[in-house]
Amino acid sequence: MLIVGSVFVASIGFGVVSAAVLALAAVGFTLQFAVTNVLNLAYGAVMIVSAYAAYELNIHGVNIWIATLGAIAAGALLSVFLNNVVYTPFQRRGSSPIALVIVSLGMTLILEFGTQALAGANNVSYNMSQGATVSAGSIQLTVVQLVIVGLSLVVMVLVHALIRYSKLGKAMRATAANRNLARNCGIRTGRVVMLTWLISGALCGLAGATFAMNSGTFGATSTDVFLVLILAAVFLGGPGQPYGAMLGALIIGVTTEVSASFIVSDYKDVIAFVILLAMLAVRPTGLLGTPMEAGRT
Amino acid sequence: MIDHVDGLELRTEDLFAGYGGSPVVHGVSVSVGPGEIVSIVGPNGSGKSTLLKSIVGVLETLSGRVLIGGRDVTGWPSENVARIGVGYVPQVDDVFGPLTVRENLEMGGYLLPSREVAPRMHHVLSVFPQLERMTGRRASKLSGGERKMLAMGRALMLAPALIVLDEPTANLAPIIAKTVLQEHVRQLAATGASVLVVEQRARAVLEISNRTYVLGGGRLQMEGTPDELSSSPEFVNSFLGGNRRAV
Amino acid sequence: MVYYITNLLVYAGVDAIACLGLSAQFGVGGVTNFGFIIFQAAGAYVAGVLSLPSSSADGGFQHYVLGLNLPFPLPWIGAAIVGGLLAIPFASIVGRRLRGDFAAVGLLVTAVMFNLLVNNYVPLFNGAAGLSLVPSPLQSHFNPQGAEYQWGYAAVAILLTLATYWFVQRITNAPFGRSLRAMRDNDLVADSLGKNVRSLRTSSLIIGGAIAGLSGAVLVGFINLWDPQAWGYAETVVLFAAVIIGGLGNNRGAILGAVLVPVAFEEATRYIPPVNGNPNLVPALQWVVIGLLILLFLWFRPQGILPERRRRLSTRPLPDEATAAAATDGGWSLPGPNGPGPSAGSDHPGLIEPLAPALPSEGAPAGDVILEGRDLVRTFQGVVAVDGVSMAFQRGRLTGIIGPNGAGKSTVLAMLAGTLPATSGQVLLAGEDVTSLPAYRRARKGLVRTFQLASEFKRLTVLENLVVAIPGQRGETFRGAMLGRRYWGTQERELVERAESMLERFGLLALADRYAGDLSGGQRRLVEIMRALMAGPDVLLLDEPMAGVHPRLAHQIGTQLVRLCQEGTTVIMVEHELSIMDEFGDSVFVLADGRVLAEGTMAALRAQEEVVEAYLVG
Repeated sequence: MLIVGSVFVASIGFGVVSAAVLALAAVGFTLQFAVTNVLNLAYGAVMIVSAYAAYELNIHGVNIWIATLGAIAAGALLSVFLNNVVYTPFQRRGSSPIALVIVSLGMTLILEFGTQALAGANNVSYNMSQGATVSAGSIQLTVVQLVIVGLSLVVMVLVHALIRYSKLGKAMRATAANRNLARNCGIRTGRVVMLTWLISGALCGLAGATFAMNSGTFGATSTDVFLVLILAAVFLGGPGQPYGAMLGALIIGVTTEVSASFIVSDYKDVIAFVILLAMLAVRPTGLLGTPMEAGRT
Repeated sequence: MIDHVDGLELRTEDLFAGYGGSPVVHGVSVSVGPGEIVSIVGPNGSGKSTLLKSIVGVLETLSGRVLIGGRDVTGWPSENVARIGVGYVPQVDDVFGPLTVRENLEMGGYLLPSREVAPRMHHVLSVFPQLERMTGRRASKLSGGERKMLAMGRALMLAPALIVLDEPTANLAPIIAKTVLQEHVRQLAATGASVLVVEQRARAVLEISNRTYVLGGGRLQMEGTPDELSSSPEFVNSFLGGNRRAV
Repeated sequence: MVYYITNLLVYAGVDAIACLGLSAQFGVGGVTNFGFIIFQAAGAYVAGVLSLPSSSADGGFQHYVLGLNLPFPLPWIGAAIVGGLLAIPFASIVGRRLRGDFAAVGLLVTAVMFNLLVNNYVPLFNGAAGLSLVPSPLQSHFNPQGAEYQWGYAAVAILLTLATYWFVQRITNAPFGRSLRAMRDNDLVADSLGKNVRSLRTSSLIIGGAIAGLSGAVLVGFINLWDPQAWGYAETVVLFAAVIIGGLGNNRGAILGAVLVPVAFEEATRYIPPVNGNPNLVPALQWVVIGLLILLFLWFRPQGILPERRRRLSTRPLPDEATAAAATDGGWSLPGPNGPGPSAGSDHPGLIEPLAPALPSEGAPAGDVILEGRDLVRTFQGVVAVDGVSMAFQRGRLTGIIGPNGAGKSTVLAMLAGTLPATSGQVLLAGEDVTSLPAYRRARKGLVRTFQLASEFKRLTVLENLVVAIPGQRGETFRGAMLGRRYWGTQERELVERAESMLERFGLLALADRYAGDLSGGQRRLVEIMRALMAGPDVLLLDEPMAGVHPRLAHQIGTQLVRLCQEGTTVIMVEHELSIMDEFGDSVFVLADGRVLAEGTMAALRAQEEVVEAYLVG
């Protein structure tokens, strides 16, 4: 009994780390959806490309935390490219949302397997030490994991400040709510969209690097399953709702890890999948979302 | 306290506008003098909304010119038109639904320096006191009349020198419509701004206008002062199918 | 060498069969099933476990269920059946009113998770190792390694491909296929025309699923392996790429896509030498190229190499298109509810039911009240849009509902038609209270409406648009489709002829085989009116039919409507263009602020002060 109890508590610790990485990713994803109305399924691919960008710097002697800046830059630039060169042209010519989903799947193939072509099919890992293990009761986390959690918290606060208090944040919310009206208020929505993808891309890059750190080893297709977790967190909180994404990430992160202490750990991600399907079936607007029109093909 | 602005002059020259390359508005030339209230009336489908949209830059003009304050703004994107002091209140999608009343007004004041936002909002709320009670309410939860007031308040935040309104009384109960036109639109003009308003309720808007144009089939059919028009039988007929041109 | 060719042929066959199934689902039915690969994997699994001996054989090193050691072709039949059954839970995900891209994401996620489960769950699936030593069909009679067997297998694969092609062709060519395509183009309108969209979607999934299951069985019998890695996320995308590149909605295109993308592609890159130091370069690049191809095709040629065939239903030579602009004088009577229609033999169930059985037929005096609204009220979110409207419409008359903007005209029409429920009040059709009936039920009783926004099926031809509006066609069920042209052909011909007569009457016969989406606004409006008429309604409700229509065309439409009234149809139209009412309307209701303000002829109303004021006041 005591052993089960401590496994349970320990898993909450892992859950928080998982939630930290997930929050970075989910917030970025949901911002892209809010402002552009695109489900960017290539998000996981951009994450892994960014992770590899950090890897390249890392194996050439750069400290992993500095290399993470490289990941952030890669994520930001690649995401802006993705929106401006791929998604926006298709949207301008009136492609259906389904067509855009297929386009994003095509981009996933290009990015993930392009990376694999360049970097090889073997899994790699960062040249870093995980640091000492810190214990608090049954919770045992490494220093790196604690840093990830701390980093994620800081970023969440920054995102909150951005959305609530900054001029850009206001402009983002207006653009997401009613793009034409935002323009009538004098907001340069084209610029706002680009900055949104830049910022969310940076989040994506950071999520990619921390994902890689937390996973130990990673390969070009490692984020395929992680994307499901991102989608689950996003839809749980409500697509397009940054605070919803944070909440969703926390719930998904913790429940997946905790479920691993009850069921075979290989299936722990299944619970995210079940939650996602349940949300889509019952409340596609999410926990914090507002009612949207359904049934658009 | 009423701010004063110098009303902008608006002029269109032979404007053609429409959707997908085929014109709905055919060679329309209208003008609004500084500080005037000018209305455009006409039966449904006469192209009134399309005309407004091409003036403020929401829709591309096919040919012709739009001049605001003497500047050629033809083809300008709507955010740039807004930046020279033009406020636009569209007929639908006129508020930021998920945002609160206060936030809507803040968005209206996006271009203002931050220290001016609060006093400006205070002023706008004094023009529309009913909104004061509901600053925390989400815009999507407002009634039709309240929404339209919020939409106008949002446009007013920037103290625009030219205000363009697209059927502000559409879907409003007659009593509220009367208030909107006689009080609120008049108040917008009282700041010195030029006002261009498109309306279906011809009688009501005639009462507040300096001049009125009648649009039918995408073309200017008539123009004149309210007195000239309301005594003209041709004017009355143009509303009841006297013109056989469908758009 | 022999093995190389037979290998190629079998793989081509497997992919072609799978793509045909996907094309039927996605191209024809418009169902984006990103979980498609699961059906193939399931079918392969079932074929495997049905043909394997019990799991304790061979030392019990593999874990699976069943192990019935069934002889060929039973495992393959089982595979197809399970593939089809698996569609039913999937249908519940896609069936809901969810945004298309949300639903697609749900299915994609299901595919990914399935892969995860299968890779890990040992008791049922043997985990990541998959199943090996799956027996080849008939291996007790023939040597599976021998050349004849290989050729034989290849031949069977090709035969099955052809059989699947024949099967899918039969479906897509029948009225059933047309209903699927209508659902794809505009499911809301298809629903309002009486098509059971839910059942169509489910059928689409089941058919595709069964075909996918079969393809899995063919594969597993050949390679004797069931490898979970073969059915991942990327493989799903490849199949979609194949169908998009080959041509959505074209069965030959599906086969072409299958041959080009998975097969030819694999073979072509086989000959590129591996780059030093990176043995994975070429396989990885394959995926990159597929991703690029998807993007390029969706941008430059979204219809694919072989686009969906336009179906020319016309039975006679069509006049040249210039005549479509001119008015024609039909001069002869349109088959109406009591007139000549398709042969209605009573020995076959599911034939077109005689429309409006509840209405009194011959002997009813023209001019009696056929449709009535009593004290109709509609409030929505606290706003009273319609405030106690009572209207009675006389048979055989053309009545207008006019009034300024926001008066509630469209709302009243919607309540009469049943597309909006009345908050209170009654709607009576020929004396019968139909207030609680939804729109498609009222349509079957002879009350049909049109919509303000164009709602034609864009990628169906004009003739198809008209014919699809008729309910209860023989070829519309799956069974009917499988029975073939012999079963539904005669009725189809009659319906097409009826549609052609309608087109001729409205002067649009030249456009019969054009895609409805390519027509001008006015022509599309006419098609919509004709489509409403095809069902032979007694009462036709038109929502602003003249909006955006050239005056000359509006005049033609008006003339046709008057003729319809002379033949006994009742026409009610909400209209803004008052000159139309002047010319064609018998009488008019004026609505203002949600109430009936006045009633009478246009001339009389023009003289009434308050009517004039209503328009000017707005």
